[in-house]
Amino acid sequence: MPHPLRRAERGAGAFGESVLLIGPGAALLIGAFLFPVGQILVLSIVPPEEGLSIWANFARFFEDDYYLRVAWRTFRLSVIITLVTAMIGFPLAYVVARSPRIVGYTLLLLTVLPLMTSVVVRTFGWIIALGRGGPVADLLSLTGLGARDATLLHTETGIVIAMVQVLLPFMTLTTLGVISTIHPHLEEASRTMGAGFYRTLRHVVLPLSVPGLVSGSLLVFALSISSFVTPNLVGGVRLPVMAGAIYQQATSTLDWNFAAAQSTLLLAAVLGLLIPYLALTRRRHG
Amino acid sequence: MVRRFPASALIGGGFILLLILVFMLLPLAIVAAASVTAGSFLTFPPQGFSLRWYGEVLASTAYLDAARTSLILATAVTASSVVIGTAAAIALHRRLLPGTSVLSALFLSPLVLPTIIFGIGLLIVASIYFGGPSLVALWVGHTVITVPYIVRTVAAVLSDADPQIEEAARTMGARPLQRLWFVVLPQARAGIIAGGFFAFNVSFDEAVVALFLRSPGVETLPMRIYGQLEFSPTPAVAAVSTLMILLTILLIVAIERFLGLRRVAG
Amino acid sequence: MTHLSKGALVAVAASLLAGTAMAQETFVINSFGGAYEEAHRRLVIEPFEQMYNVEVEVVTAYSADALAQLRAQAENPQFDVIHFSGGQEVTAAAEGLLAPIMPDQLSNYDQLYPFAVEGLEQGQGPVYSVAVLGLLSDGEAAPTSWDDLFSASNGEDVAIADITNTYGLLTLLMLNQVRGGTLDDIQPGLDAVTELLDNGAQILSSSPEFQQAFAQEATSLEAYAQDYAYTLQQAGLPIDFVQPAEGSPGIYITANVVAGRPNEELARAFVDMSISAAAQAGWAEALRYSPTNSTVELPVDLAGQVVYGDEAAANLVRFDPVVVNAQRSDWTDAWNRAIAQ
Repeated sequence: MPHPLRRAERGAGAFGESVLLIGPGAALLIGAFLFPVGQILVLSIVPPEEGLSIWANFARFFEDDYYLRVAWRTFRLSVIITLVTAMIGFPLAYVVARSPRIVGYTLLLLTVLPLMTSVVVRTFGWIIALGRGGPVADLLSLTGLGARDATLLHTETGIVIAMVQVLLPFMTLTTLGVISTIHPHLEEASRTMGAGFYRTLRHVVLPLSVPGLVSGSLLVFALSISSFVTPNLVGGVRLPVMAGAIYQQATSTLDWNFAAAQSTLLLAAVLGLLIPYLALTRRRHG
Repeated sequence: MVRRFPASALIGGGFILLLILVFMLLPLAIVAAASVTAGSFLTFPPQGFSLRWYGEVLASTAYLDAARTSLILATAVTASSVVIGTAAAIALHRRLLPGTSVLSALFLSPLVLPTIIFGIGLLIVASIYFGGPSLVALWVGHTVITVPYIVRTVAAVLSDADPQIEEAARTMGARPLQRLWFVVLPQARAGIIAGGFFAFNVSFDEAVVALFLRSPGVETLPMRIYGQLEFSPTPAVAAVSTLMILLTILLIVAIERFLGLRRVAG
Repeated sequence: MTHLSKGALVAVAASLLAGTAMAQETFVINSFGGAYEEAHRRLVIEPFEQMYNVEVEVVTAYSADALAQLRAQAENPQFDVIHFSGGQEVTAAAEGLLAPIMPDQLSNYDQLYPFAVEGLEQGQGPVYSVAVLGLLSDGEAAPTSWDDLFSASNGEDVAIADITNTYGLLTLLMLNQVRGGTLDDIQPGLDAVTELLDNGAQILSSSPEFQQAFAQEATSLEAYAQDYAYTLQQAGLPIDFVQPAEGSPGIYITANVVAGRPNEELARAFVDMSISAAAQAGWAEALRYSPTNSTVELPVDLAGQVVYGDEAAANLVRFDPVVVNAQRSDWTDAWNRAIAQ
């Protein structure tokens, strides 16, 4: 459904208003993001050796199984992290919204606490928790789920666990903002008309929460695909992700041209995914 | 209002909730435990009990100055990105501009690109055109990477808001600014608060852009922690994190006691 | 806005006063944070401030990050003196980011070992400390040779550094040398690393991870640095440091003058003070870095905890920094492939 202002005010007024509203953001995006980032990304078309094509840096990426596997791991883990966060974040947000207020706020507070600590320090907490001799390993061996020296450190499972913890507040709060605008009367109406609790959740609350889940998943996906600290420390260097590879090339091997090519591809691929996703979700729920 | 949750939802939900909370708090509990160790390195379980690392942090002007700088920076960043991000989200929500989906995706791009690339790029531009790194450049940089959060959270709540109310206000003669102030902003409030909260925390904990754009003599808290890790990874960094958690809890409890969170958070 | 307008003013002033020294300009260096920075202040920065009546601003930036910053600021550098510990000075000098230093511009030049000043010809700064790579053990393993990494009773107890950490690069090159490889062929080294990984060894990327692995008893044998072993001992961990029989390579920490800054003379004076015998003795005493100044006098107990004396210094394994730098990118690539799961 188009915004009513769109129908009512096709004139220059409403359009001008929108331009004014987006102006500062667009100026910031162009002047303070695209322009500086362009200084680096343009290096991607500078070939590593003279005489090579301007696509040489991109070709190096696509012709190499290693980089493709790193990209695939990054993408795969980001999708898993986003799905897990949504599956935990939606019920959590619902509980927060519908609990007695003191319970709801306590839950909310506990959910966002991870955001309050330094990411590096929190990640060291995970290294201890997941590493050899840590509490998670002890639990796994006690319950017989893992060997005595079981460790989730330096595994993909470990990355997912630590990333979900870091990113869950983004999903929960974004979804909560939307659920809190859903009037409880809607649910009551559904229940009065004979729908069970789960049916109401499924057919009333969930559809109305979709904008929150969409926004939350966009944030979580974007943040997981570009994250570096947690995958590097928890996953270790033997499970490289794209942001880690880019960081390595930007500082360690100083191959800025290839780092730029990889960044350009990452940005283009993600935007290429997000634009249809946004268009699709807007048409259905805008 | 009668709310009837089936027993299965209460029990199952309670159990899952407990698991989630243990999961969310486990690393924080480890950090908090490690911070009261009597030893000189981060370890779990801690060796003995001592508050010496808290004493060290609270007696250190470097940590306190860094915390103050981060607080000022994060506040300024939150203010600028809330204004810019909310305005942009409203414009995107109205979908009067061509290519709204493309614009929306572009507003997310600062989160997609690894911050190292943004940090280096911003440093190049700051060095060529603005005389080098500065606190203002850092403020701009943090605003860029925090605006996406607000755009997303505000856009999300506006999607469910009733657009007819704004239309009604318009037909009753409300001017654009009045509509914005009395209708749209109240509708967007939950999103603005969530987004502003994200912006503050992201800026407060950001180390990569800060690494490249800090001017000499300016040190933010994450920079201080980064600077300690290589040669002195003592439990002091765990103490800082634990203090941040405690301060947050106190702040939120105080807001709840004296203002009522419902009034603030909607 | 004050910073912006100040920056603009400085830029205008610089263009007006081009060529004349600006005395009020701050003097900026990088250091490596924590205990290192404390010692740095005490040994070099504060004496320098007093002697030259200048205020030194210290920015914490580790070597790789510092070089990326220097490169991004090529048009308008911020640092006067920059310190590197991972061979970054070779790249920086080759890219013209450093101002060359002439031997007669350093009063302490003649006191340095030849290896410490061989980079001057290529425009690099002198080496003022060496951090020696060896084996750290929890006391039970008692290693004597690099081969002991392979014969650990439990392979999972072994940790080495990633190649992005210079100690990891040196571990690779040292294992390569022990296994008969050369700088033209590092395959034996890569095979050795793969063998370690097959035994269950861990690769860690940063110093705090090495500390934590020992503290949590997740490792008992690590290939890492002598000075870090001392840091761990000071923190109360029962760690022994061993220089293996085949020799030890070192990380060469350099002080470099940045090109395009108004105070090059002052920067050279800072570098000169960094390589003085007094400062170097202080580094050995405070953090167990090995001196490069032949006139440094150390007490006997301290001398045993660093590489000290003409003979010992000459026996340090040194890989040609120019070759290492030229190959670094390719080796990193090969390493990444060898270790990826």
